Amino acid sequence: METFLAVQEPLAASGVAEYGWLLIALPLFGAAVLLLGGRRTNAWGHLLGCATVIAAFVYGLALFLSMTGMPADERVRELHLFDWIPVNALNVEFGLRIDPLSMVFVLLITGVGALIHIYSVGYMSHDQAGRTGADNTERRRFFAYLNLFVGAMLILVLGNSFVTLYLGWEGVGLASYLLIAFWQHRPAAATAAKKAFLMNRVGDVGLALAIFLMFAELGTTQYTEVFARAGEMPTGVLLAIALLLLLGACGKSGQFPLQAWLPDAMEGPTPVSALIHAATMVTAGVYLIARSNPIYNLTEDGRLVVTIIGALTLLIGAIIGCAYDDIKKVLAYSTVSQIGYMILAVGLGPAGYALGIFHLLTHGFFKAGLFLGAGSVMHGMNDEVNMRRFGGLAKHMPITFVTFGLGYLALIGFPFLSGYFSKDEIVAAAFAQEGWRGWVFGGAAALGAALTAFYMTRLMLMTFFGEKRWKGQKSADGREYHPHESPASMTVPMIVLAFGSVFGGVLLYSGDRLLGWLEPSLGAVAHAEGGALPHSVIPFLVVGLSAVGVLLAWLLVGRRPVPATAPAQVSFPVRAARADLYGNALNETLFARPGTWLTRALVYVDNRGVDGLVNGIAALLGGSSGRLRRAQTGFVRSYALSILGGAVLLTAALLMVRFT
Amino acid sequence: MFQATLGSQDVAQSAVNIPEIDWQAISPVVVVFVAACLSVLVEAFLPRERRWSVQVTLSLLTVVVAGLALGLYVNSDAVVGTGGITVAGQAVPLFSADYPALFLWGTLLALSFGALLLIADRSVDGGAFASPVPPAPGGDPVQYQAPGRQTEVFPLALFALGGMMVFLAANDLLTMFVALEVLSLPLYLMCGLARRRRLISQESAVKYFLLGAFSSAFFLYGLALLYGYAGSVRLVDIAAATAGTDRPETLLYAGFGLLVVGLLFKASIGPFHAWTPDVYQGAPTPVTAFMAACTKVAAFGAILRVLTLAFEASSWEWRGVLWAVAIVSMLIGAVLGLTQTDMKRMIAYSSIAHAGFLLVGAIAMTEDGLSGTMFYLLAYGFTTLAAFGIITLVRDGNGEATHLSQWAGLAKRSPLVAVTFAFLLLALAGIPMTSGFMGKLAVFSAAIADGMAPLVVVALLASAIAAFFYLRVIVLMYFSEPAQDGPTVSVPGAFTTAAITLGVVVTLLLGVLPAFALDWASVGGFVS
Amino acid sequence: MTPTYYLLLSALLFTIGAVGVLVRRNAIVVFMCVELMLNAVNLSLVTFARINGELDGQIMAFFVMVVAAAEVVVGLAIIMSIFKTRRSASVDDANLLKY
Repeated sequence: METFLAVQEPLAASGVAEYGWLLIALPLFGAAVLLLGGRRTNAWGHLLGCATVIAAFVYGLALFLSMTGMPADERVRELHLFDWIPVNALNVEFGLRIDPLSMVFVLLITGVGALIHIYSVGYMSHDQAGRTGADNTERRRFFAYLNLFVGAMLILVLGNSFVTLYLGWEGVGLASYLLIAFWQHRPAAATAAKKAFLMNRVGDVGLALAIFLMFAELGTTQYTEVFARAGEMPTGVLLAIALLLLLGACGKSGQFPLQAWLPDAMEGPTPVSALIHAATMVTAGVYLIARSNPIYNLTEDGRLVVTIIGALTLLIGAIIGCAYDDIKKVLAYSTVSQIGYMILAVGLGPAGYALGIFHLLTHGFFKAGLFLGAGSVMHGMNDEVNMRRFGGLAKHMPITFVTFGLGYLALIGFPFLSGYFSKDEIVAAAFAQEGWRGWVFGGAAALGAALTAFYMTRLMLMTFFGEKRWKGQKSADGREYHPHESPASMTVPMIVLAFGSVFGGVLLYSGDRLLGWLEPSLGAVAHAEGGALPHSVIPFLVVGLSAVGVLLAWLLVGRRPVPATAPAQVSFPVRAARADLYGNALNETLFARPGTWLTRALVYVDNRGVDGLVNGIAALLGGSSGRLRRAQTGFVRSYALSILGGAVLLTAALLMVRFT
Repeated sequence: MFQATLGSQDVAQSAVNIPEIDWQAISPVVVVFVAACLSVLVEAFLPRERRWSVQVTLSLLTVVVAGLALGLYVNSDAVVGTGGITVAGQAVPLFSADYPALFLWGTLLALSFGALLLIADRSVDGGAFASPVPPAPGGDPVQYQAPGRQTEVFPLALFALGGMMVFLAANDLLTMFVALEVLSLPLYLMCGLARRRRLISQESAVKYFLLGAFSSAFFLYGLALLYGYAGSVRLVDIAAATAGTDRPETLLYAGFGLLVVGLLFKASIGPFHAWTPDVYQGAPTPVTAFMAACTKVAAFGAILRVLTLAFEASSWEWRGVLWAVAIVSMLIGAVLGLTQTDMKRMIAYSSIAHAGFLLVGAIAMTEDGLSGTMFYLLAYGFTTLAAFGIITLVRDGNGEATHLSQWAGLAKRSPLVAVTFAFLLLALAGIPMTSGFMGKLAVFSAAIADGMAPLVVVALLASAIAAFFYLRVIVLMYFSEPAQDGPTVSVPGAFTTAAITLGVVVTLLLGVLPAFALDWASVGGFVS
Repeated sequence: MTPTYYLLLSALLFTIGAVGVLVRRNAIVVFMCVELMLNAVNLSLVTFARINGELDGQIMAFFVMVVAAAEVVVGLAIIMSIFKTRRSASVDDANLLKY
């Protein structure tokens, strides 16, 4: 552990950073105005929603620039806001931790958030006209929830204690729930929201238990103190905390075995999928593990479990992604898989924390762009999501095609686009592990790259190339397809994100810009040499494997006509993938069924034992209450007697205590 | 003050000791008493039709000005926390504006502002108060309502408020006794002023008066015995005397016991609670709100002061006994509340249970116990104030509909009232995100820190039992079919709306961001 | 004659007053019993002042008398008003509020 830089003592915030609370206050203010203002704010609600997030972004940028001017060891700042719960031993203060790691997230959240707010102005106005008439109430509600999400997410990343993080964690969970169920009239959306809510609770319980454990062991939940004193905890407790935090991360980030809610969450409006379920909220798990790096540094077993979960998830996500025909679900499984990469990276310890964050950033750009592109396609295709109905759209939506294509290339790791740098680094770091781990994790990561190339190429081919399978067809609501390019408010954010997907990697990677920047928060990156494969071979390996994936996709999908309905007679692997690799069945077996048994057993015990006891106690209390009531006779003289009796008893007791 | 000028050593001297008075420190109290006297004059000399508006303006203004005076003093350059009325040569003021007194004065002023708003509202059914005129022969005496409305309630309320402020700041038992009467006598009268249901209103006044006078006789006898024990009724002198060993301790413990009975009665604790349900039910609801919120603050302020300043040294002897009292109070409140069928009576039993919880904090005798108890008083006062405000709104042809069955299905008819009341009930039950939770957390953790874990277990048990009857009301409001000829919910006037809003906002605020109030409550302790 | 006898007399008077409150029905008499309790306390105060050789206790007795007088005013007003409504001064008749 010598390579890892000790956790820095934070300095008090000064200068621009003193107003750090504005970051959180602005979006929350927007949400409050929009929710409480009611119909009066319908007309300009969406503009306010955009304005608060853009203002937060501008402030975040100013803060970032002011920090770049500081020496590296002064970049970790704490801003004490107020004592939140000062009750005896439990003293939670509400403060912000402004350091390189949280700043990276602030810029990602407010930057991508601002773009997606702007995109939503166009996207939701269309939605409104098509569905419920001229009233803009729905759009206002949408922007209120989006602002609420941004505020909560900023609390999550800026908080300086685990309790504050938990507050934001639940806040984003709430916003996510509200937004998935935004179209409540669709039963699928309501069900998906419920599923997301429940599976997130499983994770949240893990996080809450981890915080309780920390508090019980150390008596504090502030980052600085927990991290400085993490070494005092016994190894068993450390491992337990690490695993419980991982459980929390799995729930929020859609990692195995809690991944099934994320694809279902695509029932929400597409900007929500882009912002919350691709770029920001689902990466909170990665943030949590990276933030807790001093804890994970101390427990190698904990890190190993993290790595295994990451590797497993990245393969599962990629395999299932190959089988789906729903464009948003493919992208959703791609997200699951890419977050698997990040979790794998942060599980590698000091060698990987910063790499995970690096991939998180580049992924934030290209995946948000891909989702916005998918939204644009749906926008032009009567909200159709089935790729078997697409085809040949490149000509009809040129801007969407180009931006989507760039995002696609970035995702599959086309040389010198952003995904190339971040993914290669992770694969290399995985191969650099010692012994069997290098081969296993490196192999999984490299195989995942090939699979990614396969399913994304399939998606591109089915959507933008080939014959126009939508001709002469009608969508579910009985309209004909007239694909058209989307309005500027939608294409401009896509273009900006495409730029990010193309150049983001180079900009952040060259000269170790990002990795060096993150050093005060995450420690220096340990570039491990050796291991299973030499570092120089990796890029060729990954690019080669990706090329194989692209080629396979072309052979299987591009060369032949795509049937309009999915063929039923397929081999077992495809069937398994279509069934989410039995993820739901697994969840059922792991959580639902034991839960049901447990409930049944409890109900049995409850009916026989507890209920009897409770009923007995209730009857006892009720009976004694009914009898004691009679003592309240309504006669003032009997009340006086009770006072006199009480006084005599009390005085007698006092004298007895004294004189016996 | 007279008693001070004739202090033991000074009798022989011809010089009279003029007490030093820090006028700025006691300005809130002075404002309230001056206004109360003015209010009496208004009642005497102004024509009847103009009295109401003048009295309302005067009393609300008084509370605001007193609050401003308090704020000015707290933020001034003066050495805050040591002022009051001090006799030359004495270290401790007779009547002390120390930090707990300042905090509780602020609480009292804020609460009485809300209560005065409720008292002043006459948009609903023409107001709750009437001049006492007998019913016509042959009429139903229970439902009889007197004609006209009266304004005597305002000077009475101001005098009661002034008495409360002195009661909790008095460092001397005689001042405390006089203040006790100054606060009680107006309350006795206010209970009997209801315009509707004259009979139960008068009955509650008689009961409260007789029992109040009875218990203040106990307080006074305790005072006399302590005087005999310590040779002085100053709290610090009593504390000094308990440190020595050469005095007859029978006097001390008998005196302490009787004194505490008087205090516990006012706080409606334990076996001295019998008046509470009857008086809460019979008194006009705005007056009940005033009593439930403000009297509790004053009584606990005095309990905290007496226990801390005079009897801390002997706490090992009396603590066990007060444990028992707290347990009895919590259990009586929780268990008897289960079978109540009248809303006001139910809240009365809830207040008995809450008094028990408060006593748990008060006997912790630590800084955390003091600040926690004061925070609890603040939180509970606003919640209960708003709850009684809601009760004034639910009415049928005979006035307020306080029977539980009349509240069935209320949510269907007026969702806003139902959700507000449900929130307040949850706060009384101590559910997180409400001030009730934070108050219980503060008080119970202080008690545990002071080694009273078994008591806290009982307290949690009592909270669980009590939560049942709060939830029962919520279930009743939300899941029952409304009665055919059920009560209607009146549209509240601006005053009632303001009072309820105040209570609800404070309840929520203290539940979410309790830190600032906890900080205020723990600035400093009693001066001794 | 030792002052202790006065204290015992005072305690006796206080007890008689307290018992009177419990056993008498007429509100006026109940109230007079409370007054008896207060005056019993006055006797104690004066005695203690004598024992301590100072005047404080006697001054306090005056305070108590003033307070008692105020209490009489308020008490009689309340009792009168309920008597007008009910035509009865018995405390046992006022029994609507119970359980």
